[in-house]
Amino acid sequence: MSLADIWLFLQQGVLSGLVIGSVYALLAVAFVTVFKTTDVPNFAQGEIFMVGGYVALFMILMLNWSYWLVIPVTLVSVTLIGAVFQRVVMEKVVKSKGVAVQLVIATLGLAYVLKGVVRQTGLGDSPRSLPPMVAPDAVIIGDAFLTRLDVLIFVVSVSVMLLLFLMFRYTRTGKAMRAVGMNPRAAQIVGVNLVVIRAAVWGLAGLISAITALLIAPKILITPDIGHIAILAFAAAIVGGLSSIPGAVLGGFIIGVTENLVGLFISTNAIVVAPFLAIMIVLIIRPQGILGGKLQVKKV
Amino acid sequence: MKLLRRLALATAMSGMFFAQSASVQAAEPGITDTTIKIGLFSPLSGAGMAYGFDVVNAAKMWYDKVNKEGGIHGRKIQLVIEDDRCNANDLVAAVKKLVEQDKVFLLNGGSCSAAVVGAREYIERAKVPYLMLNASGDGALYPPSRYIYGAFSISQYALGGSAVQFAADHLKAKKIGYINHDDAYGAWNLTAAKAQAEHIGGVTLDVQSINPNINDVTAPMLKIRAANPDVLVLTTYARPAALIIKKARELGWTKPIILTVTGTADLTQLVENVGGSDALQNFYIQDVLLGLPDDPRLAWVYDMYKEYYPELAARPGHPQSYMPYGLPSAMAIVQALKDAGPEPTREKVLAALENMTLDTKVMAAPVVFTPTDHAALKSAIYIKFDGKNKELIPGTYESVWRYNP
Repeated sequence: MSLADIWLFLQQGVLSGLVIGSVYALLAVAFVTVFKTTDVPNFAQGEIFMVGGYVALFMILMLNWSYWLVIPVTLVSVTLIGAVFQRVVMEKVVKSKGVAVQLVIATLGLAYVLKGVVRQTGLGDSPRSLPPMVAPDAVIIGDAFLTRLDVLIFVVSVSVMLLLFLMFRYTRTGKAMRAVGMNPRAAQIVGVNLVVIRAAVWGLAGLISAITALLIAPKILITPDIGHIAILAFAAAIVGGLSSIPGAVLGGFIIGVTENLVGLFISTNAIVVAPFLAIMIVLIIRPQGILGGKLQVKKV
Repeated sequence: MKLLRRLALATAMSGMFFAQSASVQAAEPGITDTTIKIGLFSPLSGAGMAYGFDVVNAAKMWYDKVNKEGGIHGRKIQLVIEDDRCNANDLVAAVKKLVEQDKVFLLNGGSCSAAVVGAREYIERAKVPYLMLNASGDGALYPPSRYIYGAFSISQYALGGSAVQFAADHLKAKKIGYINHDDAYGAWNLTAAKAQAEHIGGVTLDVQSINPNINDVTAPMLKIRAANPDVLVLTTYARPAALIIKKARELGWTKPIILTVTGTADLTQLVENVGGSDALQNFYIQDVLLGLPDDPRLAWVYDMYKEYYPELAARPGHPQSYMPYGLPSAMAIVQALKDAGPEPTREKVLAALENMTLDTKVMAAPVVFTPTDHAALKSAIYIKFDGKNKELIPGTYESVWRYNP
């Protein structure tokens, strides 16, 4: 391998890694938001994302709607799926004094239901792509090639993450979500409606998943099994810190770039192992994740 | 007294006769005087449906044709159909149900190799003849099992070898970029590809192995481009193949790309998935039929499908690309049952299969079975596809790899 190749690989690996990493980061943020607020690891995260892609695909293929209509309807639909699931299923489990395992099983149930519904539509028979939102022209940065879609994915993802940061920091709803995450009983005492906030958090996770699906589906093709991408989001969340939203963002970028650099400089076989290698290293050096808070012992 | 003795003897003999008949019946489930019960299965729903739905329809119409022509030695074929959903758990469950509950005489099914391989152990234990539909099923074929036959639409081994032969012969490639999966199938087709390159001589492979669930194909495609091969061979499934072809175009790749039969289930969708026909300007697909779908030699297959499934044929996307692949295994079963004679047993059918040569007039080459090789097809044809038009490249390209115990 020549020096020119190494330099090209490095540039292309990092830039492409940041693009795909921004997708992992968004899904990781959705995962961490739900986990922080409700203490539930949402194992349907990938399937909620997958449904976002298929809702959009359905409207484009079956109803011939344009993106101007498809985007808002997809965002609203998937937000509602998240919120309604929390309100109807998860709250029932919580009220019946369900333990954490039951809540986790409920999310697994949601994953199966969503996959089954998509398969019933017939759209999941072969891998499909959403039509590109932008022209497939190349954008050359240094020696590396990206497409306009890549740039759009990165810019929109970073903007969404910024908006989320502002929402959590400066809005009443965002502060309420954080308060519920820190101490739900205390939040309730000061007037926060737990049921509403939990539904809002799941709705927000749905909204983020739908945005991610709309961005990435024209690039990576969707199948009913595309939810496996959420495993990389879980990896990102663990690397960044399960209790930290900025950590999830950082973890997403680390996983994306690591995958590419490992594929380019070690072996393409090793791409799939790279995220788990990153998890192992982080868990050994800093078990709470790169930006995770100090390890705490919960009083029970 | 004599009369009594004769009566007793006649009763005893008839008792022995019926007992013997009953024991033959018991030993040969699925056979009656008028019917032969065959268990047919494939993915009829789920993500793998495109691999099996119309393939089953093709097999069904062949069995129905045989029934209309009087059946086999006076017996009509009776089908019991199951959905294996393209996964091993469902397939093994379907096979067990067909053998133990429905008591079929033999099995014909499977479009997904991984799922099929999962049933090998059970089939050997149950000693039921099993002919795959269109699964390559290399893991169940090598080392050969007495009861299992397959690869009617080419084995994983053979598809890799054949693609290398085509690249070297037709495209004059000396250095071949080769992207396969990092699973058993990828390893199998790579084994034969390497054997073929060695057999041809002076041909090298630059291999990148990827996970079937890969999301970003930048790394493998960039490494292939840096290696600067003459041709790129893709033996991946449809989704990774589409991602790589799209990425190749983004990176300015203009050299030939050959996509093996593993990724060609839905070519219309492939064109959409790669962002249009611009990405397919120097693009070849492997096929295992004897010609293009509009080849007059294959017209009877598509006419037959229209006759049997007029409503389905009127729908877009039907018949699915793999539809004709359902015929050869059904033909081989019918031939073996005929060869087994008027009193067929599983052993007789297995003996008939062991030395079968059958020109199906559907596939690129005749079905050839030997006692040590139960893979039906080792050759493929190649088609230049620009996203709209298909042009058949003359000739068939055979894989030289053979199982060596």
